[in-house]
Amino acid sequence: MTQATIVDVPEGTEAPPRRSGAVRYGRAVPFFVVPFGLLFVLFYLLPIGYAIVQSLYTVERTGTFGPAREVFGGLVQYGRVFQDGPFWSSIGRVLVFGVVQVPVMLGLALLLALLLDSGLVKGRRFFRLAFFVPYAIPGVIAAIMWGFLYSPNLSPLKPVTSAIDFLSADFVLWAIANVVTWVYVGYNMLIIYSSLLAIPAEVYEAARIDGAGPIRIAWSVKIPLVMPAIVLTTVFSIIGTLQLLAEPQVFRSFSSAVSSTYTPNLTVYSTSSVPNFNLAAAFSVVLALATFVLSFAFLRFTQRKGAR
Amino acid sequence: MRKRLSALLISVLALSACGSGGDDSPEGTAAAASCAPSSGPVTITYTTWIPGIEKVVKLWNDKNPNIQVKVQTGPNGNGGTYQNFFNQLKAGNTPDLGHIEYDALPSFRVQDGLLDVAQCDIVAKAKDQFIPWTWNQVSFGDAKSAWGIPQDSGPMALFYRADLFEKNGIAIPKTWDEYAAAAEKVKAAGGYITNFSQSDINQFAGFTWQAGGRWFANDGQQWTVNLTDDKTKKVAGYWQNLISKKLVSTVPPWTTEWDNAYNSSSAWTWVSAVWGANSIMSGAPKTAGKWRVAPMPQWTAGDDVAGNWGGSATAVFKSSKHPYEAAQFALWLNTSEEALALLNKEAQLYPATTAGTKYSYLANPVEFYGDQKIYEVFADAATQVTPDFTWGPTMTSTYASASDGFKAAVSGQGTLDEALAATQKQTVETLKSQAIPVKE
Repeated sequence: MTQATIVDVPEGTEAPPRRSGAVRYGRAVPFFVVPFGLLFVLFYLLPIGYAIVQSLYTVERTGTFGPAREVFGGLVQYGRVFQDGPFWSSIGRVLVFGVVQVPVMLGLALLLALLLDSGLVKGRRFFRLAFFVPYAIPGVIAAIMWGFLYSPNLSPLKPVTSAIDFLSADFVLWAIANVVTWVYVGYNMLIIYSSLLAIPAEVYEAARIDGAGPIRIAWSVKIPLVMPAIVLTTVFSIIGTLQLLAEPQVFRSFSSAVSSTYTPNLTVYSTSSVPNFNLAAAFSVVLALATFVLSFAFLRFTQRKGAR
Repeated sequence: MRKRLSALLISVLALSACGSGGDDSPEGTAAAASCAPSSGPVTITYTTWIPGIEKVVKLWNDKNPNIQVKVQTGPNGNGGTYQNFFNQLKAGNTPDLGHIEYDALPSFRVQDGLLDVAQCDIVAKAKDQFIPWTWNQVSFGDAKSAWGIPQDSGPMALFYRADLFEKNGIAIPKTWDEYAAAAEKVKAAGGYITNFSQSDINQFAGFTWQAGGRWFANDGQQWTVNLTDDKTKKVAGYWQNLISKKLVSTVPPWTTEWDNAYNSSSAWTWVSAVWGANSIMSGAPKTAGKWRVAPMPQWTAGDDVAGNWGGSATAVFKSSKHPYEAAQFALWLNTSEEALALLNKEAQLYPATTAGTKYSYLANPVEFYGDQKIYEVFADAATQVTPDFTWGPTMTSTYASASDGFKAAVSGQGTLDEALAATQKQTVETLKSQAIPVKE
């Protein structure tokens, strides 16, 4: 965008400098684009392409210890993916997780952002940082810490945890949801909050002149104006939910309810440690497609709603 | 969430980076498989997770300026090092030597990752120094092969709280029947006789090994998977009974909760391997002086059969450029008294050589166990392990599946029997998806 405006300036003036100018900027374009392009290809397109290629192969061997030969297998691995019951039930599990956890987390994030923005809170900077701190803690550490808090015999909240086993099959999904919420509320709040800060003061002034109180302003002015930020955080959260790995992986060691195929990514991980890289690649590709379809469907849904 | 995205990207990248160079043809690698000494000084790389290994390696490096060993430590095998090895195999950049437990050796052989070190004359000559069943774990029953050099073993015995048993007038169980009867009395006294390992399937494998169950067989043509034979079912039924009656606790193994169960005297015994001595010492320091070791309970009174839990080999990877020197170091590491003594001091490793079990450092009384000479019990057990237990070529998958089922069983959903049946099915499935011939 900046480039467009810079190029625009000499456009009205004489021809020769414009031309030379265009060439100079023309050189600048690859200068800025190549590093990105290179990294994008190297770290994004290539791995995805490689995963897709891997997923189309299958192994052949002769004898009980015969070395494996990778041969093109077409969609054989995908056939296995679609017959894999645990994989699909894990997708169902994370969908249930997402339907509950994402609205709760984003609702909290929005509420906290509105509170910070409302002027009701003293020490805004402190709280802004305080809410964000959990995000700075690595997910694995957060999961281990919560694991201790949930532990039936060692928890500092033992009276509660010995009465309700948060690590049992009935509760563990929500125990994990709580960890994820705790970690990511601050992060999402910050995105929404920065979007709130970008709203011009005149808009509030106009609303106030029209007689709107703080709650009305929040409901009818702020929330609609930060909708794009909420949509963005929702898409991130949908992606994150489908790709849950660190938390369930940590919980697996201290909960008997978390299996090796508890979430789709855990299935990918377990499969690649067999090692069966081809099948793991097929799982990954299917998971990526599912993520893409869900995120895209959500965006289309919100855009259509916005158009009305 | 972005963090997760990038983490995923990084792992995908790591996979792809590993894969790009990995299309080695089987012909090419087969040609490289020989074992001749290198000329001039060489550097050997070695990956392991033995605590204190640096000191042992230093001992070697100081004496062998021409064969320098560079050691890299990582998490234990199933905790991440095997995954790294598999990735490195695909990328073609494995270290020269790797620490691989007996149960994982077939998995690495089936991925065409290991050098048959029996081709090295020094290894072939050293064969007789090892306890026969440990050698069997690396040769897979083929007298002319060795897919690693045995390092340590995990003969099993019964760790028990002498003070609690005495105070409550309970006899030390010599058979599994007595053990189950003692479990009732322990429960009445307010404890659990033990903690059943719900997710580390190796303990159960050790029980099965003792009972005579054999999970895998390989006739050269195809694999047979038999996780539901009568012997295994007998063991499963036995523990299912204790679980159903709530006579054992079932906290997840290798967690702080687990340590706490022993440290707080809630669990009174542990049927474990020799290295378990260290686990109790570090996990339950409050119980110092109160533990003793007795032989493993028997299925038939008067028998002397032990199970085995764990044990490792030092394997030479196929891509090693200095297999002879690698084997030379591995032999020193696992047969010389100086190395074995240090390995035992630093990591409580129990040697796999016949001479090793008789070394003087293993005759010392151990303070934590009330000055009992505990290694004498294990020295006997080491000779009582039946030699012919075979591991399958995809144990990671078998363990994951069994662990899922065992976890469900201790939560009251299903039984150990059902878990083993599901594992049987899953294992056959995994073998088929790897194109490994298997009898159905």
